[in-house]
Formats: sequence, structure tokens, C-alpha cells
Amino acid sequence: MSFLIPAAFGLAALAGPLIVLYMLRSRRQRIEVPSTLLWQQLDLPVSSAVPWQKLRLTPLLILQLLVLAAFVLTLARPFYTQQTLLGPHTVFVVDTSGSMAMAGRLERAKTLALDLITDLSEANQVSVVEAGPAPQVLVAFARDPELVASALAELVPTGGRADLSGAIRLARGLATPDRPTNVLIFSDGGDVPLPEEPVAGADYVMMDDIGPNLAITVWSLEPSTEGTTRAFLQVSNFSAEPASVRAEVMVNGLTAGFVDLEIAPLTDARQTTPIDAGPGDVVSASLLDSTDSLSMDDRASLVVGGGPDRAVSIVGNGSPFLAALVDAMPGFASANEGPADVLIVDGGALPEIDRPTWLIAPTSAPEGVTISELVRNTAVTYQRPGEPILDSVDLSEVAVAEAQVVVAPRWLTLVRAGEVPLILLGEVNGHRVAYFTFDLTHSNLVVQVGFPILGARILEWLGGGSAGAVSTEPAGAPIAMSAPAGTIAQVTLPDGSVRDLLTGTAAFTDTGQPGVYRIQYRADDGTLIEGPVAVRSFVADESEGSVRQIATGGGAIAEEEPSTLIREWAPWVIGLVLLLMAVEWWVGHQRPGWSRRPRRERSMAA
Amino acid sequence: MILTPELRARLERLSVQSRRRVSAQWAGRHSSRHKGESLDFADYREYVPGDDFRRIDHNLWARLGVLLVRQFEAEEELPLKVVLDTSKSMSFFSKFEVARVLAAMLAYLGLAGGDRVQLFAVPGDEGHAVRLGPVGRHLSQWPRLELWLESLQPTGSGSLASAVRRLSGEGTVRGSLILVSDLLTPDWQPALDGLAVGSGGVVLHVLGQEELSPDLAGDLRLADSESGGELEVSTSEDTMHRYREALERFALEASGRARRSGLDYVLVPALPGAPDQVLAALARAEAVR
Repeated sequence: MSFLIPAAFGLAALAGPLIVLYMLRSRRQRIEVPSTLLWQQLDLPVSSAVPWQKLRLTPLLILQLLVLAAFVLTLARPFYTQQTLLGPHTVFVVDTSGSMAMAGRLERAKTLALDLITDLSEANQVSVVEAGPAPQVLVAFARDPELVASALAELVPTGGRADLSGAIRLARGLATPDRPTNVLIFSDGGDVPLPEEPVAGADYVMMDDIGPNLAITVWSLEPSTEGTTRAFLQVSNFSAEPASVRAEVMVNGLTAGFVDLEIAPLTDARQTTPIDAGPGDVVSASLLDSTDSLSMDDRASLVVGGGPDRAVSIVGNGSPFLAALVDAMPGFASANEGPADVLIVDGGALPEIDRPTWLIAPTSAPEGVTISELVRNTAVTYQRPGEPILDSVDLSEVAVAEAQVVVAPRWLTLVRAGEVPLILLGEVNGHRVAYFTFDLTHSNLVVQVGFPILGARILEWLGGGSAGAVSTEPAGAPIAMSAPAGTIAQVTLPDGSVRDLLTGTAAFTDTGQPGVYRIQYRADDGTLIEGPVAVRSFVADESEGSVRQIATGGGAIAEEEPSTLIREWAPWVIGLVLLLMAVEWWVGHQRPGWSRRPRRERSMAA
Repeated sequence: MILTPELRARLERLSVQSRRRVSAQWAGRHSSRHKGESLDFADYREYVPGDDFRRIDHNLWARLGVLLVRQFEAEEELPLKVVLDTSKSMSFFSKFEVARVLAAMLAYLGLAGGDRVQLFAVPGDEGHAVRLGPVGRHLSQWPRLELWLESLQPTGSGSLASAVRRLSGEGTVRGSLILVSDLLTPDWQPALDGLAVGSGGVVLHVLGQEELSPDLAGDLRLADSESGGELEVSTSEDTMHRYREALERFALEASGRARRSGLDYVLVPALPGAPDQVLAALARAEAVR
């Protein structure tokens, strides 16, 4: 036991005067009695002339000495140290990737965090960062354990991949110079190495719970040669035991068939099955009677797209690169005659937006976009991280000779040159629109390796998916929103809950749940206009549940790492003082005097 | 009113019994040491000239040839002295109130039996050892006695032994004596020894409940209410045990000294039931009937 104020023990010297008081003869209480005749016969000890007497160790003296000792102990503030991961400011970075749903990893992480916040005191602050596909700060600089617990309770596993790097960057952003901050990472490590290891100022609490798992790793539609649609199912067995599994195939929630698979350990099993589904139908597969350690990947869904071939019409300058791109895209075809499913406007005047449209530096801006000026000789400086359209597309070498400076507050900016948006996504009149603010011929984009990929993804996004299905993106990928004027967008999540979005929301980011997201627009008069459908799938890599060690560096971000907590004994010692004082009062309460019993006498006279 | 009508009615059915013969100036209901005119035969004596011829026992003269005169018991009143302790020590724990009731009760009993009752208070006022109270011979005189008793206050201090000597040395007819006191005076022993009462009596030793079983705690300085002397006492189990032993010795010795002086002794706790207790004790001792 240590003491915060050891000098308080000097007050123990008060025991001296206390003992002296007991050695001094007390001033006796004078009581008048009828006669001292009988008392004189008791052979009472003769009083001494000296004012002091031999010390008698009475219970009262012992109690008072104990009270004094306990009081001094209270003032000395005894404490003990306790090893803890909490520092003056601790940021919990909690991984909510799909693999954290395995074998209760996330629940254990939350339990550990809750255990830690029982140590929370005025000297500690806690922040919570959710490390999901889109990291976010749930609570910052909280001293209230209830607040932290409430934030932790909100954490649910997503079906996506954790952006641990982004989460750690967020956590570091919470560091303040006046308070050492350490980061506590509750994770299974993810499958993407962090850019910086060891991670300075962090501790890693590895969630390595694991169990057998069967997962739907591929669920897609492909056109058959007979003109019908076939569903392709791949189930992976991540356990060391062979497994037999039956998958139920459903169309719009109704059973359409079953697929039985025998899967050897650590292998996949695939099967194709024809389905009878039309455009807009939701086709799902779910593993039956699966009792594995990760249930989120036991179900997969997709939405049948508009058809096997979507017509693309190119108007304006008609860059040959665009025509080549359309011709190379499976499921897309140039529309020489008739209406097109997708319109590409390569420069020139802006037509009426009545279908998905790819605008490339039009002379006038669509609704929600304002062209202010032109900027020359600029280059790409920013690609939106985590954006599926830009996945594995490197635009860092792209230079632009001339670009429009546009203001589009409700559009999602994918690529920027400084503050100038170069590629944006949005919706006009309920139709998806991709907007390039520069002419392809005024840049070197078309000669970049990534252009075909970028172009293909933009076409898939505009066309609502490839191979006959609406495009499926990993859970956590945002859904670009562009509500028609005068409407409010609302999203129905896979679990059936409905979210109303604020006017002007460019993207819906709460897409951690795998499944189908239905977007509707509510007009002022209350009528609902059906919008696009988006599908988010469980990231197959997360199903493996692999665990990775993350190297961390000691020390808090600002100062030395506080690895111990000071716990004072004050409540116990104060309780002891009060108890002793109560006992001392009780013992000392027997004061001298005649009996306090009710007198039994009464007047003898009539 | 000291005595309730109910108690007075009870007392009127009782009478004080003398163990010894009474010597008095007036005829009463108690046997006198003088031979008198009652119908109760007492003794014979030889005839001397001047004796009443009617008292010569002719049968004995015929049989024995000796002139013997029959003697008869004299019917005399009982001189009853009721002495009430009015020292300051009696003012505690309702002792005086109980003692006054007891004194009144026995005085009334005497009057009801036709005895000559005289009240005394010790110590007396203005330096006198005894304060003489009124004398009564009939119940009609009870209000005067009661009034006098009511006027008494337990404020005095003085020698009980001197008072007893004063009572014994008055030269008045010796009779019965009732002493109602707590005996908490340094000369209580000679006082009891000096009570050579011719016709008996009783000592009613009145002590408060707090004196019989004191409830004291702590270090105390006890001040004597009469003398003003102080005594330091540190109470403990042992101290209280020794006090109880001293109290027992005190009562035993007082009882012994009273009996040696021809008096009954009753220890009376100063409680509301004291009159009944005293009457019961006196009945057992055949002091009242």
C-alpha cells in the first residue's frame, strides 16, 4: 500500500495529547445525594493530589486511538496500483469487419472493452472508433462509462472489410497534446497489412476465436445459352472436417430449389442451377441447418438486372476509346438504332436526362451541378478511398489539360485535382449519372492502364450491374444517392429497417449489412417513387476468419504510456472511520448520572 | 389531605397493641403498669391498712388465713409518640412524602384506638433538637394533627441522637414510639440505642429506590445534602457490589439495634405501596390488630 500524502502521518502525533488527556484526572461530575454515609463505608481509594494518574487502557481510549489512526490513514490517502490498459486518454478501435462476427469475436471485444471502462475515472477519458468499412468515431473524450458502454453496444459486425488504417488514423486524430493518448485495437488483424507497422502508441488485443465455417463465397447470375438465367453458387468449407450442406435458392423470398453440396475440408464446391427470375427479382441463396461459427456469410442475395444486353448510345464527339470500351464490355452493346439503356454524352449540349447517363464535359451542367470556370493543366491528387469503382485503378499519373470547375454539393466526388472535382457520381431525375469534368481527349486518362477498368465499372454502375444482375458491391461500400428534386430519399435496409436521408445526402454509407438495399423517393405529397436497388455482399475473404498479428509500438502518442491506475482506498477507509466513530459514540454514550429509567414514584397523597 | 378516606376507614378498624404495660395519667384502653379498676384480674398483694375491704379475697382468707387484696388491670390510654424525620436527606426520591404518609397513618391509628398521640419532628427548627407537634386523644383532633404534618418540610439538619435523648428525657409518660426516618445521619447508631421505649414501638426505615439500587456511572463527586461534604467515587461493578453489601449491613445493624431497644424494624422502600407493606409488617409483628 502506498500513500499519496504520507506527510499526513504526522497527525498521528495527536495520539500523544489524546493519551495525556486520559492520564489527566477528569473533573468529576458533582452529584448531590441524600447522604454519603454508606459510600464512606466502601473503603474507596484516596484521591491523589497530582493531576495525573496511571494510564488505564479503556475500550474508549482504544477506540479513539483507532479512530485517530483511521482518520490519519484517510488523510494520507492510501492507494494501490492496478495494471490497466487504460491511460489518460484511450481510444478503443474496434474492428467490425465480417470476420469479427466469427465465434463471437466482436462480443468478446466488447466485453473486454466494457471490463476496462469499469476502471474509468475522472482521470481517464475514452474514445471509441468503429473500424468498419467506413471508420467512424462513435464517442470522443468520454468520462462517463455509460456513454462508452452505449457506444460499444452500437457495434455490430458488418459484412465488409475493416479499414483499420483509416480507423487508426481517426484514433490518432483524437490525440491531444495535453494528454497522453494510447490506442487499443480490438481486432483479428484483418487481411490487409497496415501501412505502418509497428503501430506506434497502440496496444493490440487480438480476437483470435475461431470455429468451423461454411460460407457462400460466390453467388452470381449468368445468362445461359438457352436464353434463361442460371445461378452460380460456390460454397467454401473453412473447417478441417468435410461438410455436407444444402443450400436453398429463393426468388423474392419463395423457395425456387435446393442445391446439395459435399465439400472437402478447406476446399470449395460449386454448382450452377437454373432459376426462373426476371428483371428486378431478388435471388437469394442460404445454407440450411448451418451451425457454423459465422452466420452472416451463410446467405447471399442479388437482384436480376434489366437484361443480358444493354444498349449504349454515344452522342457528341464520340471518342473512339468510348466506342471500343462499349464494344468490349460483355452485356453491353452499341445502340445504333432504337432507344438506349445507357447514354454517353461526350461533350456537346446536355440532353434531357431520362436514363442512366455518362456525361463527359458537357457544355451545360445537369441539375445540381454548377459550372463556374475552367481550370488548366492540372493533375489527379485524390482518389476516394474504398470506392469500389476505383478499386485497383491507379489514376495518380492522370494529367488534365483543361477541366470544368464545378460545384456539386449533392454529388459524390470520386476523383479530384486539388479542390477541382474530375469525376463525380450522382443522380438526375432518378437516373444514375457519371460526370467527367474534362474531355477525354484533353487528358491522358484513356492511355492509362486503369481506363478500361474504370470505364467498365462506370458502365456497370450506370447499367445496374453486369451479367444480368444488378452490380453487387462489398458490404460497407456507399450507395450514391441523388434524389429527384422535391423528394426525400429513404433506404430500406436488408433487415427491413427504413432510413430517411436528409435532403442533399450524396451517399448512404450505413451499408454494413449484406443484402439488398431498396431506395425510394418520397414526394411532398407522400407518394413513393421507386428508385434503384443496390446489393451489398459479404466479403468472401472475411469468411476464412484468419487472424493476423499486428505489431504495435509501446508508449502513448504524446507521452510515456501510463500502464497503471491509481486506486485509492478512500471509500473503505472512510467507511472504517465512520464505523469506528459510531462504535466509539455508542461506547462513550454511557454518561454518568442517575438512572434515566422512568421513575416509578408518584405522589403518595390522595 | 395526607390520608385518603379509604385508608382512614381501614385504619379505624385497626388498633395499636402495646407489648408492655402502659404508664399514663389518664385512663385508656391499654393495660397500665398501675393496677386499676378494670374487670381484668391482675395479681394479689397483702392487705395494708386503708385498702378497700371489697378487694379482700375472702376465699383465700378462709383457706389460707392470710389477708390478700385482689388487684385488677388499670385501663389506661397509650401514649404514642410519632417521630418524623424532616432532615434534608428525606427530601430525595419521595422519601419524605412516603414517610409523612406513614407517620400520619400510625398517628391516625392511635387516635382511632383512643390513644394519646403526640407528633414530633426531628430535627427541630431554630436549633432545637426536636420540634414538638400537636397532641391528640380523639379522631376529632385529627385535622389539627394532619395540618401540622402537612406544614412540615424536609429541610433541616441536626443530630438524631440528641433528639432521641430529648424525647427520652422529657419526663413524660413513657409509651410507644414510632420513628419514621432514613437513618442517614452519622449518629444513627446511638440514636437507636437511646430509644429505650417502655411500651415498644417501631422504626420505619424509609429509603428511596435509588438508594437501594443506585444507578450511577462514571467518575463522580458525591455531595452530602446535609453536611455538604463531598466524596469522590469511581463507579464500577466492584464499587456497586460493595455499596450493596454496605447497605445490607446498614439495614441489619439498624434492625438489630432497634430490636435491642424494644422496637420493631421495618425497611420501607419509598414506593406507592409503602402503607400496605407497613401495615402488613406491623400485623405480622402483632403491633397492630
